[in-house]
Amino acid sequence: MKLDTEFINPFLAATLQVLKIQASVSAEATKIYLKKPGEKLLGDISGVIGIVSTSFNGSVIISFPRQTFLNVMSGMLGETYTDLTQDILDGAGEITNMIFGQAKVSLNEKGYGVQMALPSVIFGKDHSLLSATQGPIIVVPFSSTAGNFFVEISLSK
Amino acid sequence: MFSPKTKVLVVDDMSTMRKIVAKILKDLGFTDITEAADGQIAWDHLTKSPTPYGLVISDWNMPNCSGMELLKKVRTDEKLKKTPFILVTAEAEHSQVAAAIQAGVDQYVVKPFSKDALLAKLQSVSKKYAA
Repeated sequence: MKLDTEFINPFLAATLQVLKIQASVSAEATKIYLKKPGEKLLGDISGVIGIVSTSFNGSVIISFPRQTFLNVMSGMLGETYTDLTQDILDGAGEITNMIFGQAKVSLNEKGYGVQMALPSVIFGKDHSLLSATQGPIIVVPFSSTAGNFFVEISLSK
Repeated sequence: MFSPKTKVLVVDDMSTMRKIVAKILKDLGFTDITEAADGQIAWDHLTKSPTPYGLVISDWNMPNCSGMELLKKVRTDEKLKKTPFILVTAEAEHSQVAAAIQAGVDQYVVKPFSKDALLAKLQSVSKKYAA
């Protein structure tokens, strides 16, 4: 199983679509790179979802700096948010869930056999997450009308 | 279209998504909206409410009791089986849509969705029950 464009592109397309439709945020991917060992997540709030398939495992993380997340939530909920309150934190999980759901359709049309999973949210300045997978981690930085954010995709086996 | 006084139950484990759906409903004029964080809590609302719910809008993937499990319970309950039921979910694959239809869902909204997309589904379900 390879982290190639056939696997990554559905997540990039889904990210753009989810943010446009649900939050009225226009985004574009910038230069993709390979994450270095021990490098922390680049945002303050992250939605995480495990990828489970018949032939491989992995994870998708969408990580937002604080202000980007507040801007996205303001777009999603139609009111201005200036604080990271408990009732909007799960929005990172919901965005991850929608991106994963959209990408899963494309991937399974190609026979990947990806199963649905429930997302989690982690937050805090300079938070980190130990990857359950041993494979390479691709980071896709995005610039958007809400600010910068990052999508990380990892796979093993 | 549903009356603005229709009693609506919005079910989702994500508070953000409950807020989005509730806001759209309020924008459309609905005034009686209850939120539930999973299918089990929703079931308690449905079975214990003194006045019947006129519409359920539920997520699919939730802990404790999923939207699909809730739908099946509603459709096999003598008092609740004719309750209009819409699934709002990230489950967009044909096999899952087919499974939801088989279980008796009235409409199916795939996340992400716009206000207009949800309104179209509401109008479709309302028309079905008015017929």
